[in-house]
Amino acid sequence: MTASPPTAVSTTLDARIAWDALVIGGGATGAGLLRDLARRGLRTLLVDRSDLGTGTSGRYHGLLHSGGRYVAKDPNAARECIVENRVLRRIAKFAIEDTGGYFVATPDDPDEYVDAFREACAASDVDCHEVEVAALLRRVPTLNPAIRRAFAVPDAAVEPWSLIDANVADAVALGSRALAYHRVVGFERSGERILAARVEDVRSGTVHRVMAAQVVSAAGAWGGQIAAMAGAQLTMAPGKGTMLVFNQRMTDAIINRCHKPGDGDIMVPVGTVAILGTTDIHVADPDDWAITRDEVDELLDEGEKLFPGLRRMRLLRAYGGVRPLYDPGETGTESRDVTRAHVVLDHAARDGLSNFTSIVGGKLTTYRLMAQDTADVVCAKAGVTTAVSTADEPLPGGEHGQRFHWLGGRLAAHEADGGGDADLICECELVTRSMLEEVLERRWPCSLDDVRRATRLGMGPCQGGFCTFRAAGAVADHAARVAGSQAEVGKMTATAMAEFIRERQRGTQPIAHGRQLQEALIAAGFQWGTLGLDSLVRTGGGGDGNG
Amino acid sequence: MATADVAIIGAGLAGLATAVRLAEHGARVVVLAQGNGAIHWAGGPIDVAVAPGVDTPAAAVGRLASNPAHPYAVLADDVPHALGWFGSLVAEGDLPHAGSPGDPFRALPTGIGGTRPVAIVPNGQAAILRPWDPGERLVVVGPAGFKDFWPLAIAASLRRPSVWGGLDRPERVEGVSVELPGLAARRNLNALRIADLFDDPAWRRPALEAIARAVDATGSGPLRVGLPAVVGCRDHGAALRGALEVVDRPIVELPLVPPGIPGIRLYGLLRDALRARGGRLLLGEPVVRVETDGRRVLSVATSAAARSYVIRVGSLVLATGGIAGGGLVGDPDGRIVETVLGLPAEGPPIDRWMTGDPLDPGSMPIALAGVRTDGELRPVDPADPGAGPVFDNVRVVGGLLAGQRSLAERCGDGIALASAWRAAASIATGGGGAVGTAAAVPAPGGSR
Repeated sequence: MTASPPTAVSTTLDARIAWDALVIGGGATGAGLLRDLARRGLRTLLVDRSDLGTGTSGRYHGLLHSGGRYVAKDPNAARECIVENRVLRRIAKFAIEDTGGYFVATPDDPDEYVDAFREACAASDVDCHEVEVAALLRRVPTLNPAIRRAFAVPDAAVEPWSLIDANVADAVALGSRALAYHRVVGFERSGERILAARVEDVRSGTVHRVMAAQVVSAAGAWGGQIAAMAGAQLTMAPGKGTMLVFNQRMTDAIINRCHKPGDGDIMVPVGTVAILGTTDIHVADPDDWAITRDEVDELLDEGEKLFPGLRRMRLLRAYGGVRPLYDPGETGTESRDVTRAHVVLDHAARDGLSNFTSIVGGKLTTYRLMAQDTADVVCAKAGVTTAVSTADEPLPGGEHGQRFHWLGGRLAAHEADGGGDADLICECELVTRSMLEEVLERRWPCSLDDVRRATRLGMGPCQGGFCTFRAAGAVADHAARVAGSQAEVGKMTATAMAEFIRERQRGTQPIAHGRQLQEALIAAGFQWGTLGLDSLVRTGGGGDGNG
Repeated sequence: MATADVAIIGAGLAGLATAVRLAEHGARVVVLAQGNGAIHWAGGPIDVAVAPGVDTPAAAVGRLASNPAHPYAVLADDVPHALGWFGSLVAEGDLPHAGSPGDPFRALPTGIGGTRPVAIVPNGQAAILRPWDPGERLVVVGPAGFKDFWPLAIAASLRRPSVWGGLDRPERVEGVSVELPGLAARRNLNALRIADLFDDPAWRRPALEAIARAVDATGSGPLRVGLPAVVGCRDHGAALRGALEVVDRPIVELPLVPPGIPGIRLYGLLRDALRARGGRLLLGEPVVRVETDGRRVLSVATSAAARSYVIRVGSLVLATGGIAGGGLVGDPDGRIVETVLGLPAEGPPIDRWMTGDPLDPGSMPIALAGVRTDGELRPVDPADPGAGPVFDNVRVVGGLLAGQRSLAERCGDGIALASAWRAAASIATGGGGAVGTAAAVPAPGGSR
């Protein structure tokens, strides 16, 4: 989080290179796969249609599972979680806040489940011990005082973007590459083989031909779309999860309901906020994460059972993500009942496509294992037998001796570097001018939303209301320095502002009430009223040349 | 027990204007406010109204007034009187404004590189009211390192004709950053700090000379200088005169992301005018209790630190604002709650509070929410408006009035001033709880 390692996401593509492997999808799994393949000696290219970490990896609640959630229903998944939990605590401390977690039994939770919980944890090797309810209530006073029992587990909060960045940086150092904003639009096949992928630079519209010996889809919920382009059969069962962001950490530890996993039963403190998750609704289109007020209501109703008064606490936004669930068998299974385990699909056997592999299912906590299992299949096909090292070698920035991310880390760094009087662009998240300029420097061209993922810009209470304009000013200065006519700079700046405000505000709409409704209207009041934001987004008036 | 002829709750433009005007009528007034009002966010221009297809605020008021649900349906005739009075008041206070509601809209550039339509502006922006001459340039100059003003970005944006919305614009726009004395090493520069510096004649002079040199370096020929709206705060009049003298070019102050220095200047002027007329202003005093008897408010109680303060009142004016100001709260169950008296409020259903493209001002129908009133600005029940006022001695002014789309219609200041004018006249002429009647009010019963 604060000790984010330098990323090396590229912006342009050299089509003359023939890659050992092409990874499609820049979520945690794709980034992990890029690293794994690179470490086994395969020069690999990763492409994503958007910025890295904008799909499911960037749209989940931030929980590094202990496995406790799955012990009753899916012991296999539970076991994978605890193993990977321990691995990530070793190799990626910078991305993890070691909050610890609790499973708590509210009066609504059936005794059978609660009574069996500790043993079920033991059976899956999930560290778990019962704690005194009174002691937990002292640590988390906002918790429902009617809680009957509580169990401590090694849950943690994990920030996806720095984790993805670190995986990419590790691979790039070995000659592999990652390209954001490059979308696969088709494949060239010759018999049983994919010869090349057609990859469109979505910002310029240019389509490149990418030659790769092995093609791996790590597109998650979008895996069906990629497979279809290759002429393979793969049906995903995307499950939408909606999450609510509160403007405070009403708990510094992760709190789970001790019951059969359901909606609104996890609260995760992440950065300066806390996130309540989730719902689980089957959606036909993985890009459909529209959120209704009813979903928000339902989440709040459930959340109240953990934190009485939650409904009156200030909400910042709602967002949705889509689980990459894969249902191999019958249709009609409830989304929550589809396995969370991952599956590597070798399309050689399934579809007669010898060099195409898909990885589906899984969850962020097990991304490294998913990558490793996939790389095993890919390397077997490629005839590579190098040993795996991703579980042992720390990620860049996660070297031994580093401490876990902690909430005050960023402030401490500022204080060490200038007495806390740093030039703050985003006051909520302590993003300074130099942090912003550094991201612009290495990621250009990029949007403010890309900057957000790298810095948390605009993720606090004002939701970009103030910092958007400051950040856009820095974008203009950078754009003017590196390229472009003055007219382009003007348009670029306006677009940067408009897109960011639109994206941030969209998350507010389904939760707008109380303080955040007030905040939204205050922001609109000065953005439209005082500053004339509307004039930046209107078209017409004689074209956009230099007047 | 303390008494007042009129207590006004809210210290924004509507509340302060009502209080000043009532004090001029001879009323003993007290303004009670939880904190500073939205006036501290204002960028200078007095927004009276805009409407599609009309080119003056006066015409826009007429258009909006044709909708019987709009506050201007009641207040349109008060607008010229209120603005005339306001114009004299600010001129007396060394913050003269230029322009009138009958003037055509001009495009005022802003600190984010946008523009907004204006017709009435303080002197620091008056230079924008004159048409641009052929060949005339706008040179945007800002202090280096000021995070709320990026001259390069502003100029780049203002070079796009679409930003000017079909209104008159300069042929060329340039952006220049300039090092101002003593600021190079400073970080986290904000508007208030820079405005404070401009108040200091000793700092101001070399700073303005640096700005003048930067402007001169852009070449000769006619031009206007766009500066961030930070040219003095408490002593803005002197700072602006100094700037005009040293820079020797027309100056336009561009509104910034809050805090709004032009609004803070206006706040200071209204506060001083109120005090000069014998009124009192109590900030940090949220009203926590109101005592009523039937259709009359008898007293209000505020709470600060460790004591409660009860004021017996002849009339009460609610100038608490809409949702943004905190006069209304949209609760999670979809109710719109008026926060002082629990007055019946109207507004759209919760699923239409915010909807559609967030960049369209129409995406916030909740802005329409408010309290409906009769012609004397007394609150009525929207479910039964014919039943008469809910309270006889309460007036509603400003953003709390239902039926305005203040974002899209840019009508907030006009409604604030016109409703202040109307409420003051109504109270002063005895429309329920007239001036001097506090003593005649029956002794309060038990507090509730």
